[in-house]
Formats: sequence, C-alpha cells, structure tokens
Amino acid sequence: MGHWPALLWLGPSLALIAAVVVYPVAALVRASLSRYSITGLYQGSVGASNYTRLLEQEALVTVVANTLIWVVAIVVVTIAASLGIAQLLNEEFPGRRLVRWALIVPWAASLIMTSKLFVWLYDYYFGLLNQVLTSLRLLAAPVDWLGDDATVMGAMIVVGIFVSVPFTTYVVLAGLSAIPGDVYEAARVDGASAWRTYRSVTLPLLRPALLVAVVLNVIYVFNSFPIVWTLNDRNPGFAHDTMITYMYKIAFKSALRDVGLAAALGVVNVLVILLAVIVYLRTVSWREAEA
Amino acid sequence: MLSVAALVLLGACDRGAERSGGAGGGKSITVVIAEYSKDHTKSFWQGLSDQYTKQAGVKVDLRIVDWNSIDQQVSTMIQNNQPPDVLNLNSFSSYAKDQLLYSADEVLSPKTRGDFIESFARGGEYQGKLYGFPILSSARAFFYNTDLFARAGLAGPPKTWDEFVQAARKIQGLGSGVIGYALPLGPEEAQAEWAIWMWNNGGDWKSGDAWAINSDKNVQTLRFLADLANRHRVTQINPGKTNRTDGAFQLFKDGKVGMVMGFSPLAAQLDAEKKVSYGVAEMPTAVGQAVTLGVEDYLMAFKKGGNQDAVKQFLDLYYQPENITRWITAEGFLPVTRSGLSQMSSNAKLKPYLDALPNARLAPTTDPAWDRVKLDVQQTIGLAVQPGGNPKQVLDQLQKNAVAAAGSR
Repeated sequence: MGHWPALLWLGPSLALIAAVVVYPVAALVRASLSRYSITGLYQGSVGASNYTRLLEQEALVTVVANTLIWVVAIVVVTIAASLGIAQLLNEEFPGRRLVRWALIVPWAASLIMTSKLFVWLYDYYFGLLNQVLTSLRLLAAPVDWLGDDATVMGAMIVVGIFVSVPFTTYVVLAGLSAIPGDVYEAARVDGASAWRTYRSVTLPLLRPALLVAVVLNVIYVFNSFPIVWTLNDRNPGFAHDTMITYMYKIAFKSALRDVGLAAALGVVNVLVILLAVIVYLRTVSWREAEA
Repeated sequence: MLSVAALVLLGACDRGAERSGGAGGGKSITVVIAEYSKDHTKSFWQGLSDQYTKQAGVKVDLRIVDWNSIDQQVSTMIQNNQPPDVLNLNSFSSYAKDQLLYSADEVLSPKTRGDFIESFARGGEYQGKLYGFPILSSARAFFYNTDLFARAGLAGPPKTWDEFVQAARKIQGLGSGVIGYALPLGPEEAQAEWAIWMWNNGGDWKSGDAWAINSDKNVQTLRFLADLANRHRVTQINPGKTNRTDGAFQLFKDGKVGMVMGFSPLAAQLDAEKKVSYGVAEMPTAVGQAVTLGVEDYLMAFKKGGNQDAVKQFLDLYYQPENITRWITAEGFLPVTRSGLSQMSSNAKLKPYLDALPNARLAPTTDPAWDRVKLDVQQTIGLAVQPGGNPKQVLDQLQKNAVAAAGSR
C-alpha cells in the first residue's frame, strides 16, 4: 500500500503550496542573483553582489529601525487594546451584538480606503483632527501630522493599530469564550479578587489565543504596504519607509530602479520574518516548559 | 497577502519560458495605455481597437493602466519576457537603449512621420533615430486666483521674480490662512515644478551633452525656492513634502492659494467646480523670456517576431488626424501633429497653452539617464526647501548621481 493514498489526499494542497509558496520564493531568489536593466530586461547572473550592494545602501539602517518601531509598537498596543476590548465584548450588555458588528468595519474596509480616509483626517489644512484639537485647545496651532518628521511614524502607527485591533480582538474573544465557566467558579470559591482571577486564570488560559494573535500580527504588520505607502507618499527620500515599502521604492520609485536589488531585499524580508517568528515561538514555549 | 503578491511581482522572471505566443502568429497584439482620465481613455482606445480588429483581422488585448503602477506593470511584463506590442508611457529612451523598440522607419508610414511637429519628433529620438512616437503633449501655465489678487490690490499676474515675491507677500498678508504660492516639491512631480523655476532663471538640466544640475544658476534658483518657504514664508507648510494633485492643486481649488503652476486638466476641474475665479498667464521669469514646461508622452512599438505589420497598421490608425485629434481634444491635452495643431488652434480654451507651446521646453527624455535622474530629483529635491535643508548639497548629490547614471549601462 505505502504512501500513495496519503499523497493522493495531500496532492491538491501540496500543488497549491508549490504554486503559491515554493515557485515565488524560487523565482525571488533567482531574481535576487540577477541583474536587470531599468526597463526590467534580464542581463545575466551576478552572484551575491545584490546582497553586498544592499548592505551599502545608506538608507538601510533607518529603514530597519523604522520597521522595528513599526512592528513592535503596533503589535504591543494592538494586543493590549484587544485584551481590554475583548473582555468588554465578552460581558453581556444591551447592544453587544451591534458593537461587535461595528468592530468589524475597519477590518472589512479596504486598507487603501482606510489609509486615504486618515490622510484627510490628518491633513494640515482640511483635516478634522487639527480642527478638533485646536478648538479643544489641546493644540495651540495645527500640526502637519504627515509632513512633520517627528509625527509621521506615530500617525502611521495609529492607523496600523486601528486596522489590526478588530482581528486581534476576535481572536482573543474566541479564546475567552473557550475558557470553561467552572474555573472561574473555582476561583470565586477560593476568594480570588477580580484582578487575581484575571492574572492567574484568564491570562494563562488565553495563552494559545495570544500566541496565534502575536504571530499573525507580526507577520501581517511587517508585510503591511498600503498604510505606509499612502500616508508617506508626500515625503521625499526613505526616512519613514519600512523594509516593505523600501523594497518597492528600490524596484520602481527611486533612482536605483533595480529589480535584482529589490529582490535581494525581498529575500532578506522573508528570512527576517521567519527568524522573528521562530525566535518568538521558541522563547514562548521555553517559558512554558519552565513554568 | 501582499508579501505573496510582491514576491510574485518581483520574482517572476522566467527567462526559460517560451517567447510569448501573443503576436507571434499575428493573431493578436497587446496594447498598454496609461489612464489619462476615467472618462475618456478607455472608451477611446476600446473604440480604436474594435475598429482595428475589423480592418486588420488582428485581436487587441487592451490594457488601460493607471499612472501609479504602470512602470511596475511594464517592468514585470518585460521581466517575464512578455513585453507589450504597443506601449504608451512618459519615457522611451531606456527601452530604445535596450534595443527593444522598432524605429519610425520600420513601423510608421512616411505620411504619419511627416505630420509630427518637429520639436516633438526630436523629443522622441535616441541616437538620431525616432523611437518614441509622440502621442500627446501638454504645457504648464501660471494660474492665479483673481479674487485674492483683487483683495491684495494687485493689478495683474507677476511677470518677474521680484514682482512674484511681492505678489506672494501681499496675498499671504491677507491673513486668515491665505497662502501666497503653492509650491509642490514632494515626490509626485517635483522635477516638473523644479524645471520651470530652473529654466526661468536661465539654468538647465544639461550644458551641451553633460549634466549641469548643480550649476551656480541652479543653486541660486533652489535657494530662491527655499527662501520662499523659510524666509519670506509665502508658501504652504512643508512645500518639500507636498504633492501636486492632492496638495497644491487641492489648496488652489479650495481658494486658499494665490498662485500655482497648473495645466489644462486643472483648468477643467476649476471650470467644473466654479468655486474659484482664476486667470492663466505666463510663468514669472528672472531672465526676460518666460519659459514653460512642455510634456510629451510617447507610443512605442516593441520588436517581437512577426508583429511588425500588425503594429504598423495599429499606429497608422491612431495617427489618422481624426482619431488622434478626437482623443487629445477629449482628454484636454495639446496636439503633437501639424494637422492636429491647425484643427485645435481655433479652440479659445486652449489658447494660453498653445501660445506657450513655442516657448515650451521638454525634459531631457532622449537621454536614458534621465529615467533615473527624474526619480532621484523626485525623491530628494524637496529636502532642500525644508527648514535646515541645504540646496547646494542636494544639487551636488543629484549631479554626482546623474553623471554616474550617464556612465552606467
């Protein structure tokens, strides 16, 4: 008999994986070892020189730092906010169904649309944000949120959090509703305070859900393109780019216009995110074993 | 999701794949056209394609692509060894340099070739041969808000740079958020705004065949623009980080701005909205003769086995005077052919732009290095007008990169 029946069942998914994962990765790696003219015309293999040239790019340090801030800030705040919101939505209250539905909206809307909306909210001359903040006297003068180097990244991170919270909240909510009621009952019988119950019962039992939420968010936020692309499109240079938008600019929107170099960064991006996820999962399961 | 898309996009380079069967047998051609407007571009080219299929018996795979992604899409097609047969773009010389294109001798009838306005034909030459066939042109003009000019007590549009600064200060002085001049040096179209100021101070991109981006004149011009922003304070906030379409134009359309460099599509929007009363004039100049920027876009024909006749027929159909003029008129642009010029010169709306055309200069698109220089200018020149920016340093770096680009393959 052997493995044939198993392969038959696995066949379609293996073919799918080969088509959407293996082939693009192989093509990407090959592109990263090649030279292309500005038109996209293949001009031969260049070995690893695209990778060494990548390290010579002045903007790289800034871009890597931006990426780190972008991912860490969004994921940390998103998880924290989602824990609170999910807790709220887990309680019974009138209109809960409505609030749950409303939460889906930023998730369901296209990222480009959401980003454009925020561009107008942040606008120096027409934006609602400046109007509200100045009329409440929280700001003395309007701020050019997307043009001022000090505020651009923060403004983009807010949008990143806004679009990540719904999904994360639903993951946490699913985790919450999977916690059986009798453990809470036991905690109550033992006289645990609400905070103690949350720390010692809820959070440990949420661990699988949080694990999933963090891993998916890190990958999703790292790879996010439309928010940074749309909110940062007015700013010259690479001062506020992440590794993903930088890759696109290298390929098509900067004087480099170099598909091979961009592909090299693409390979690096894949490796970075893989490494980050592996390190995270290792650390978490190691702590679990210790506990 | 996006990462996968990007992977496919960047990675899809299949050298080993068989040559595109597309036009091989002369059964169909791929035509890629940039989207100039939602209303007119698709309908015109679809109609033309249908007419062509009926005449020539060749199917057309028509793709209308928006400007934001056209460079990327064309690059991907070429990486995949499946170039279009006919392509419309704002650059051509890199494609000619890579020997991907037919020259005019190969795919245009002498009648079509002879109808091009000479300056536009020269703008499509690479090493003495015509590869970038002019498809349409446009010219920039100086727009001013007549209400704000009246309130500021200004008689008419400024003719010199001194008058310009005076006018901008008076308008800015009206207060309540009114802006003298909207200066868009963000990445979208910085090279166009810069070129107009540069030329009107007697500077240029090149001196003879050599790049001269950091000439003394140009350093002076960029300092002048930085002063507008930081010393005279007559521009909108962060001009180095303002794009044209959603930045400078938006402010002008809202009546917040006294002056802006516009073009005919802006006039069409202003006329439709009827919110701002405006005048159109020549650019203010520091050297006596006002210069404006002319923009020429191109049609190119890609060399692919057996597609020469099919492409030739398609191009000849587009360049029939009634076709090309119908489209250019619908889109609100300017002619590139003599026959088109004589037909359109009676249109009063186009008069300021047609008048400016003889003094319009083109970007150095005939030099393949320009395709990199343009992107470099877009990504850096705005930094020079930000507080603390260094115009000379920015131009020196641009010059260095331009020389390097000219030397590279």
